[in-house]
Amino acid sequence: MDFLAEGFRRAWDLLVGGDAEVYGIALLTLRVAVVATTISCVLGLPLGYFLATRRFWGRRAALTMVNTALAFPTVVVGLLLYGLLSRRGLLGDLGWLYTWQAIVVGDVLLALPIAAALSAAAIQGVDPRIRRTAETLGAGSWLTAWTVTREARFALAAVITAAFGQVVAEIGTAMIVGGNIRGSTRTLTTAVALYTSQGDFGLALALGLILLVLALLVNVALQVLQGRGSD
Amino acid sequence: MIELRGVRHRYQARVVLDLEHFSVPRGALISVVGHNGAGKSTLLRLLALLEPPTEGQVLLDGKVVPKRPAAALRRRVTLVEQRPILFRGTVHDNLCFGLEARGMGSAAKGIVADVAEQLGLTTLLGRRRHELSDGEVQRVAVARALAVRPDVLLLDEPASSADRAAAGALYRALVRERAERPIAVCVASHQLEDAYRWADDIRALAEGRLSPVTPENLFRVELAPGEGVKQARVGDIDIAVMTDRSGPVVVAVPPTDIFVSREPLASSARNVFKGRVTAMAIERRGAGVHVRADVGGVELVAAITAEAARDLALAPGSPVVFSFKATAVQVF
Repeated sequence: MDFLAEGFRRAWDLLVGGDAEVYGIALLTLRVAVVATTISCVLGLPLGYFLATRRFWGRRAALTMVNTALAFPTVVVGLLLYGLLSRRGLLGDLGWLYTWQAIVVGDVLLALPIAAALSAAAIQGVDPRIRRTAETLGAGSWLTAWTVTREARFALAAVITAAFGQVVAEIGTAMIVGGNIRGSTRTLTTAVALYTSQGDFGLALALGLILLVLALLVNVALQVLQGRGSD
Repeated sequence: MIELRGVRHRYQARVVLDLEHFSVPRGALISVVGHNGAGKSTLLRLLALLEPPTEGQVLLDGKVVPKRPAAALRRRVTLVEQRPILFRGTVHDNLCFGLEARGMGSAAKGIVADVAEQLGLTTLLGRRRHELSDGEVQRVAVARALAVRPDVLLLDEPASSADRAAAGALYRALVRERAERPIAVCVASHQLEDAYRWADDIRALAEGRLSPVTPENLFRVELAPGEGVKQARVGDIDIAVMTDRSGPVVVAVPPTDIFVSREPLASSARNVFKGRVTAMAIERRGAGVHVRADVGGVELVAAITAEAARDLALAPGSPVVFSFKATAVQVF
């Protein structure tokens, strides 16, 4: 227990003292998480709406694929992405390997299925009369989509939270394609893993606490938004 | 105005609607009546252009509607569903929805105030959907549909949650709307009283088909297997039916095929029922009389000429005999 108490004390000192490394890692993590969540949701939510509302050949197969992608092991995604981004890979010319952009790409690959599959389920949960009523009152496809989406706003907020949770807690791809380079691609999760293995529990705990606070803040913000948006 | 031609609509393999021709003319109020599952809601959804028929055509002003109609075409037709749903926001927001979809937001104020007043919603404009009763939701839905001034208005059981006063207000609003412009209205309803009072014409649907019979003479029965004359149990009477069909079916007795007499007639009719006249009504077009009688706990309606009614000196309470042939009974 002593080492835990010592760890908490160290964590507190680092956080209150404004340790540059700790806050640098936190800011990078936040940047990666916000960019990756935004890209995932901008692509995934419309994809989910499309899968939920359109009837087309292969729809069931597409839904199965998206749902299967939910269970992709992060290290496997990291490995495949490494192959693509390495110098001899298809995307090697981008020079993104061991950059924060590579971590974003990996996180998007993992969060996109979450955004698409869960938003499809959320949209399917909306009473079908909403869509029919909007259409019969003359709404075009954009207004109909907006009207249906507004009805699913609570579930969609949960989708965004889940996507953010996946991104902010991800370690496999960040480690493989980010490289955990100090001051460059070290995120909260990779740093916690590193400092724990080095025996620096205080620093690891401080970073872990920041990770928890970040997740808490995002959830609180979404809940506040949900409260404002109630009927 | 709007019509269906040669429509056979299926859900999976089951034919749920089979109509050679159905139309709602400009300026008319057509009431469609029938049992639950008769196909009324499907009919309205096809007319509302929400889904194309599996076979056949929908025509609007004589022009075939494409399978994926453009928004401008869809905007001419509006449907109020049986259990309507309101969008998020206030009653006022809901009434503005269709107008804003048409880019008529600036004209919304006057139109919304007008329809709200017609349907007694003025004091409810600031309320949200969870603050309304089912009847109020239904009135808001009708007002929301009227606000967009459609050429064709389709209402599925519009007064099912309304009390008599609210139902009256709703139909009076339709009358006012029709007085202003030649809107085509089609109302699916269980409430025959409303249909008889407000509709220009009544069409009965049974098992997805139009029946030539008034809805009172439609009965859901179970027929035994086999061919020839069978007995269909309806209330306390057995109706002789000539059919090869068996299992659950709907039988229909055309009112014009019922002989009305004071005493049993010596005839080939297999169905002869004694009863008492419960009501008499002159047909809307004035050519005949509908004689409604209770025969063994079952109400049947017969259509006879005004002269025949006079000769028989029929009045509510009079003893009467209804006779019809087994081959006159239609099976759906």
